[in-house]
Amino acid sequence: MKRKKLKDFLIFAMFVFPAVAFVLFATDIPFFMNLYYSFFNWNGVSRDMAFVGFDNFIKIFSNDGLFWKSVQFTLKYAVFYVVIVNAIAFVIALVLSKEKKSSSVVRAFYYVPYIISLTAIGLIWKFILGPGFGALYDMTGWEFFDWSWLGTGKLAFIVVVVMTVWQNVGFYMVNYIAGIVTIPKELLEAAQIDGATRFQTVWKITVPLIMPSISICMLTALTFAFKLFDVIMVFTKGGPANATMSVAYNIYQEAFVNGKYGLATAKSLVFVAFVLVVTVIQLRVTKGKEVEA
Amino acid sequence: MKRRKISITNVLVFVASVLWLLPLLIIFLNSFKPYNDMMQHFLALPKSWNLDMYFETWSKFNFPTLIMNTLLYTVVSVIGIMILAPMAAYKLARTKSKLSTLCFVVIIMPMMVPFQSYMITLTRLVSKVGLIGTKTGYILVTIGLLMPLAVYMIHGFVKNVPIELEECAKIDGAGKLRIYFLIVFPLLKPILTTVIVLDALATWNDIITNQLIVGSNAAAMNLQNALYMQFSAQTSDWEHALPGIVMSMIPSLIFFIVMQKNIVGGVTAGAIKG
Repeated sequence: MKRKKLKDFLIFAMFVFPAVAFVLFATDIPFFMNLYYSFFNWNGVSRDMAFVGFDNFIKIFSNDGLFWKSVQFTLKYAVFYVVIVNAIAFVIALVLSKEKKSSSVVRAFYYVPYIISLTAIGLIWKFILGPGFGALYDMTGWEFFDWSWLGTGKLAFIVVVVMTVWQNVGFYMVNYIAGIVTIPKELLEAAQIDGATRFQTVWKITVPLIMPSISICMLTALTFAFKLFDVIMVFTKGGPANATMSVAYNIYQEAFVNGKYGLATAKSLVFVAFVLVVTVIQLRVTKGKEVEA
Repeated sequence: MKRRKISITNVLVFVASVLWLLPLLIIFLNSFKPYNDMMQHFLALPKSWNLDMYFETWSKFNFPTLIMNTLLYTVVSVIGIMILAPMAAYKLARTKSKLSTLCFVVIIMPMMVPFQSYMITLTRLVSKVGLIGTKTGYILVTIGLLMPLAVYMIHGFVKNVPIELEECAKIDGAGKLRIYFLIVFPLLKPILTTVIVLDALATWNDIITNQLIVGSNAAAMNLQNALYMQFSAQTSDWEHALPGIVMSMIPSLIFFIVMQKNIVGGVTAGAIKG
């Protein structure tokens, strides 16, 4: 009996432990190291680390204007991104889930930006907004093309929103289509026979029935927005004048540019707590609205 | 009347889809032009489709090495995930014990925590074990980072695979390893395809992890990181940057076209089930 138990354990270990080891190494251990470092004043390189207790956290909450500015930017960005990307993706999905023949090519068109690397995306938009708009201004003389799109805070914000929506809309579209095709045809027909308008049908039938898809898309969009980092790094670097400084980029800068390692790890913990709280609230809200067909 | 209304929205969605591709098309057309032509004939077709700048970029920026590196990372990471993730996911789904629950939590916890919050200490840890700047270090980290989602998705799928098949095989006297490799693994094909697509694209397109772990060690850089380092500093070199971008996108595009059915239909399969 004992031998069988040991054998079962060994097999379990063989199947599971390698995966666990990789995850521990790449994510869990670094995360817990974070907890430790956040109580120290340390520049990331030198040997001496001074234990400072909660000083780093106090500093964040009392005296870190840039961090709170980045929080503000991130929240504002999240609102715009979540609403716009979901609205556009939903409308596209509504149309494309009906069109059988031509839709797979069109779907692919919308999806393509999503599979392209951020390096390419960043450079593509830099090219279009820089030399591209310059050339278009010479051609047309429209003021619009002459605006300093990456040099003005407000415009740079718009550019970041447009660019991320453009890149990601395909992902949400696919999710919505997956939800919409599961709706039984009879329900839609019944609504039509009862004289519902197209808008009513969508609002009263489609939307409640695809709540699981909506919930997933909202959550994905929200966490994407909060974690906004790569785009900022390859594209605006938080500029101009910190107008597009996201929380995650602020943390990165604190550690790798300013060399305030301890402070940066403390900030990242505040960031995690914040993301978790918002995620849980969001899940509660959308889960409560799900219905069965 | 009603049909008309629908078709206006339809037309909009179809027209907009072309707009969606426009930035890529512009890059493609301009990649064949000398800089002056980009400025003066921005929207025009190139005067000639010569590939000189492509060849020059290819050799000047060491594309063969970069592509080999990126290919190596992508292939090894995906194979690593394909071996380890389904084994773990399967065993975790079929075992009910405290240890099993604990392992599952350890594996999926990172999904709730943003990568940016521990990337600083991750870099630190990798340098402590002496793997910073190495290909090995980068591959190990990549597999570790891709693992949680892979295990989570496969785990959700395994729960819907009927256990009776395994029981039959057991009665027939098959050992646990045989059951897994001969019976369970082939059944996982749909979800494994999805995971391969996701992970291959993620690795091919990765830039942040490569930058953190490999840093400025040119020999171990991947394609995206090298292009980023090269062109984000001096963006005026568009004559090389545009062919570079186009060449870096071609493999993803080919992969996308080949796997299109799985991507546009399959990416969500795991997500919705979860």
